[in-house]
Amino acid sequence: MKKHAVFGAALGAVVGAMLAATAGATVAQAADREIVIGYQAPLSGDRSQYGEMFRNAAQIKLEEFNASGKLAGAKVAITFEDSKDDPKEARNIAHKFLDNSKIVGVIGDFSSTVSMAAGEIYAAEKMPQLSQTASHPDFTKLSPWQFRNITTQAFEGPYNADWIIAAGKKTAAVIYIQNDWGISALDGFVSGFKAKGGKITATEAFNPGNRDFRSILTKVARQKPDVIYLAMFYEEGAAFAQQREQLGIKIPLYGTSSLYSPKLIELGRESVEGLHLATTFTPDNPDPAVQTFVKEYAARFKSEPGMFAAQAYDAVGIMLDAVAKAGPSVTRESLRDALAATTDYPGVTGATSFDPVTREPAKALAKMMVKDGRFQVVTGP
Amino acid sequence: MDVNVPDARLMPATLAPPAAFSGRGRRFAWTLLLLAVAFGAVPAAIVGTGSSYLAQIAITTMIFVILSASLNHVTGTAGLLSIGHAAFYGIGAYAAALLSTKAGLPFMVTLPAAGLIAALFGFLVALPTMRLVSIYFAVATLGIGEMIYVVLLNWVDVTRGPMGIRGIPPISLFGWQADTLLSRYLAVAVIAVACVWVLHRLTHSYYGNALRALREDDQCADSMGINVERLKIESFVVATFFAGIAGALLAHTSAYIAPDNFRFMESILILAMVVVGGLGSLPGAVVGALFMIVLPEALRDIGDYRMIAVGATMFLSILLLPKGMLAEGTALGFVRRSFSRGWATIAGGMPVGWK
Repeated sequence: MKKHAVFGAALGAVVGAMLAATAGATVAQAADREIVIGYQAPLSGDRSQYGEMFRNAAQIKLEEFNASGKLAGAKVAITFEDSKDDPKEARNIAHKFLDNSKIVGVIGDFSSTVSMAAGEIYAAEKMPQLSQTASHPDFTKLSPWQFRNITTQAFEGPYNADWIIAAGKKTAAVIYIQNDWGISALDGFVSGFKAKGGKITATEAFNPGNRDFRSILTKVARQKPDVIYLAMFYEEGAAFAQQREQLGIKIPLYGTSSLYSPKLIELGRESVEGLHLATTFTPDNPDPAVQTFVKEYAARFKSEPGMFAAQAYDAVGIMLDAVAKAGPSVTRESLRDALAATTDYPGVTGATSFDPVTREPAKALAKMMVKDGRFQVVTGP
Repeated sequence: MDVNVPDARLMPATLAPPAAFSGRGRRFAWTLLLLAVAFGAVPAAIVGTGSSYLAQIAITTMIFVILSASLNHVTGTAGLLSIGHAAFYGIGAYAAALLSTKAGLPFMVTLPAAGLIAALFGFLVALPTMRLVSIYFAVATLGIGEMIYVVLLNWVDVTRGPMGIRGIPPISLFGWQADTLLSRYLAVAVIAVACVWVLHRLTHSYYGNALRALREDDQCADSMGINVERLKIESFVVATFFAGIAGALLAHTSAYIAPDNFRFMESILILAMVVVGGLGSLPGAVVGALFMIVLPEALRDIGDYRMIAVGATMFLSILLLPKGMLAEGTALGFVRRSFSRGWATIAGGMPVGWK
């Protein structure tokens, strides 16, 4: 009998805890008009460094906005939730945000898979979602409620291809990470490069997490392409550049904007000298908006902001400007319409406009190369 | 451990009391209580609070109850440590997603098909690996799990690789569509309860005893006339079948799947549910799934320290309850008594054997 009662108590306790925990989280309090933006990002787990940058940048932007008085009669707050870069957590968060009637818009998530897992729910339940980084071609096709503040590889690939061709280089090998983003980067570059008369000597994929590129390098170098085009992130980019140096291969490197991070130089040291990439954001940009952001970020978080931080800073800025445009009585519907009307938002990642039909962002990219141990803007090819 | 209690069927007839008196009322009480929670309390809470967050967590929990209970069948009961369970979950999800989006088949077909396809892969994997024991089998399933994940990721023509599959239709039956969260939960809960019931009948029986026997000592079981290899294959196929069913439910409730849903960490999460709940204990597997899904959500408010708290809770629960929250021995006694699965002995003693 005793054990019996223990079982009952244990089961009851677990069920009770489940109900209490989840119901308690949804109780709304009556207060002054407080507009809340939900921000879902990987704040723990493998990709927490990105979530951390997003949160840092978002806090700076939010404080600037609330101090600016652009929105009279209401105060905006941001609620952060940790998605661990896990689609099932993202789905839970999506519903948690939807249940909160104060939340009028959501920013996030980081990776496309996770953003889309949550996006399916936001699309069905009509919540505007703006991802700072999701570059999956289908993301904005989910519904009219999805926006992104990152130029996709369909835009960046042909842009880089033009740049390489203009520099007089006609053949390229592409090394790409085997995920949704990597495939779209490959497609974007290859189609753009071929359209301009360039020739692709090889395309080689590697699985996420791989850090050994020696076999790929040896294979690719045999065909002597004019350039190697890297579609990967800075961790892999640094490992790739180092192994290229160790193998004595001299073929110049071009890469996607995702390589742009102070960490690339920190990890790759001399081996990344001469790497070319085009990016939306550079801390060297003399634009006062960029300099204010860079100084503020460096002062607060003791590190130079990279592209990801800038991307999040502008995503938050675009969202908050849309809130201000919609006014203190903003709803999810009016916020969506205000977001869709974004034209030439003066951000640190270049003036951003959303296409009225596809909702894809358009931006101007800055061409850069690593020289003397830092990223420097290059003019001309 | 009370797995070796004497078989009541071998007892003299005078010792075995009539079945009608062996706690039939209590059996219904527990069954009714569990059904009331799954189909009464949880839906009532969802409707009462109007919380879609609660509904979403309840759906995820039910899917993981199936995964945890099925892994418990092979790893807990039959003692074959599998750390590639998420891969079969993935096969089921992809089978359901592809059959419904590309072939346009209804849920009535995709659900069993997902289970059968996952079970077929389970069977193919089981054939060569069944001679392996303990950690060697675990490493083999680790390898198989990674292989399946990499195939899902790289076979772009069929799986669309990392792009994932979009637009999977919701659960529907004869024209009825589960398009609200509540109906989605109810559909998933009915299937989850049915799966757990089947696993319950398999585990809490003489067949289950045979599985436990081969876990304790397969050579000894072999010498007693148990067909060890066949039983191992059967238990693995059953577990992968239910993992496939769980995958189909994920695909039809979330509309979008990608290989990232079926990473190695997912296998480890399912294994953690089984171990925290109680290795070999089916009620434990259910409680473990509930615990491991609900706890991280309940701790959201503590922010950055959330996953540390989850880890510490797991560590403490294993340290203080090494046999799990509902240890196997206790759980078997509980099932015998409260679900009237065992033969009652004289006057209030411990029930024995299986009906």
